[in-house]
Amino acid sequence: MTKKEFSFNDAVNEIETILHNIESGDLDVDKLAVEVRRASELIKQCQKKLRTTEDEINSIFKDLT
Amino acid sequence: MAENVSLTELQLIIRDSLYMALPDFYWVIAEISELNDNNSGHCYLELIEKNPEEKNVKARVRAIIWSNRYRFLKAFFENSTQETLREGLKILIKVKIEYHELYGLSLIISDIDPAFTIGDMAMKRQLIIKQLEKEGVFTMNKDLPFPVVPQRIAVISSKKAAGYTDFVDQLKNNSLGYVFYTHLLETSLQGIETEHGVISALDKIAINASLFDVVVIIRGGGSQSDLSWFDNYNLAFHVTQFPLPVITGIGHEKDVSVTDLVANKSLKTPTAVADFLIDTISEAENYINEMSSEIVEVSRVIIEKNRNMIETASIKLLPMTRLMLSDVKEKLSACILEINNTGKALIYKASLIPANHRSILGSTIKSVLSGKLMSLEINKSNLNSSAIKLLNSSSMRVNGLESLLQILKPENVLQRGYTITSFNGEIIKNAELLKPDDIIDTQFIDGVLKSKVFGKKT
Repeated sequence: MTKKEFSFNDAVNEIETILHNIESGDLDVDKLAVEVRRASELIKQCQKKLRTTEDEINSIFKDLT
Repeated sequence: MAENVSLTELQLIIRDSLYMALPDFYWVIAEISELNDNNSGHCYLELIEKNPEEKNVKARVRAIIWSNRYRFLKAFFENSTQETLREGLKILIKVKIEYHELYGLSLIISDIDPAFTIGDMAMKRQLIIKQLEKEGVFTMNKDLPFPVVPQRIAVISSKKAAGYTDFVDQLKNNSLGYVFYTHLLETSLQGIETEHGVISALDKIAINASLFDVVVIIRGGGSQSDLSWFDNYNLAFHVTQFPLPVITGIGHEKDVSVTDLVANKSLKTPTAVADFLIDTISEAENYINEMSSEIVEVSRVIIEKNRNMIETASIKLLPMTRLMLSDVKEKLSACILEINNTGKALIYKASLIPANHRSILGSTIKSVLSGKLMSLEINKSNLNSSAIKLLNSSSMRVNGLESLLQILKPENVLQRGYTITSFNGEIIKNAELLKPDDIIDTQFIDGVLKSKVFGKKT
């Protein structure tokens, strides 16, 4: 498991949990805003990971013999 | 045989005997141990048969495929098997015996049955598969979970082959804008060095396994794919043991090698592999987007529901409040009315009583007052008599005290014969306070005498 994989998988799991919570109808309106905000943040992070080059990884690959 | 013969003659005799005894052609199974097709266009081979158990050579012969025949058979064979005619292959060939006085025995190959080679290769493949299954390792790489986002890719490919460049380009320029990181480990993917080359590349990747998500083995397609280099037990075994998922795209149209079978994913070409990687990430993104839409949708419903509740409540609020207020107002008015009436009635009742009460009040007051006056008079006379008694007894006490005082006056005491002794100006009451030779003063009624103390009287 790598650092990247770790955060992406975790993010997906967390988003699934949030969706499940919202669908179950147990959330009050205040919590709803917090959870949706969190989900939105995670989604943004995931999309960023998919499309933004990480210089760190690039330099590691360059150094590989 | 009495005569001597020349060598040539002997050779010719052998040749003729051979041709007479074995005029036909034979279909023979043999393994190619050497193959040379030089500029002449002819193909010169060495064929052997190995002892299956001990792998040592049991029989060996030279063979030739003349150029015109070779052109045809080579193409035919390679089309059918997708393998080049080469050392190591077992073949089924139609041969004619040729014996030459100069070159000795050789077989002239006129035909070949590719199906045999295919069957032989398939059988070898089966043996390797069975071996891996028996060892319980066959599915180990296939069982590894494929990464949700395979972005960091170790590529095992031959030196800058077209397959590799296209692969990297495809990933770099994918239409969805995904980012991939690739690292190339170069090795030959054809020929006898394949096994060792790929295994050492895998070993190098394994050292840095945490830096990668998947391994990809790719090579450009060609008409001859020589897949059997990947029908290799050692190579396949290494793939099963590898800690990261291995994807193969080694470009074979019809067949799959053992390495393909044990790999986590096996695809036909490097292009297909690149597509697969892009699709995998695309799926992950789609999943997230779907969830995102779900969240928005469900949230909207919840907010709508809440808004309706509030609106309904607020609509009901005003009229209900009004109702309550008017209710209370009514009750209040009724109370006020009752208070008024009750009050008036009470006041009226009260106004009838005062006159009666006034006279009773008057007489009561008078009797109370006179009673008080009388007791006051009694107290006064009591006080007088008590006061007089007190005065009398007091004056008697005073008189008594006066006479006592007279008796105790110092002059009267002295007159009766008592004296007052003093020493150094101080009155002495105790004899012990004086010592012999002390000078004392003694006061009589008629004067003071000075005397010296002798001592205590015993």
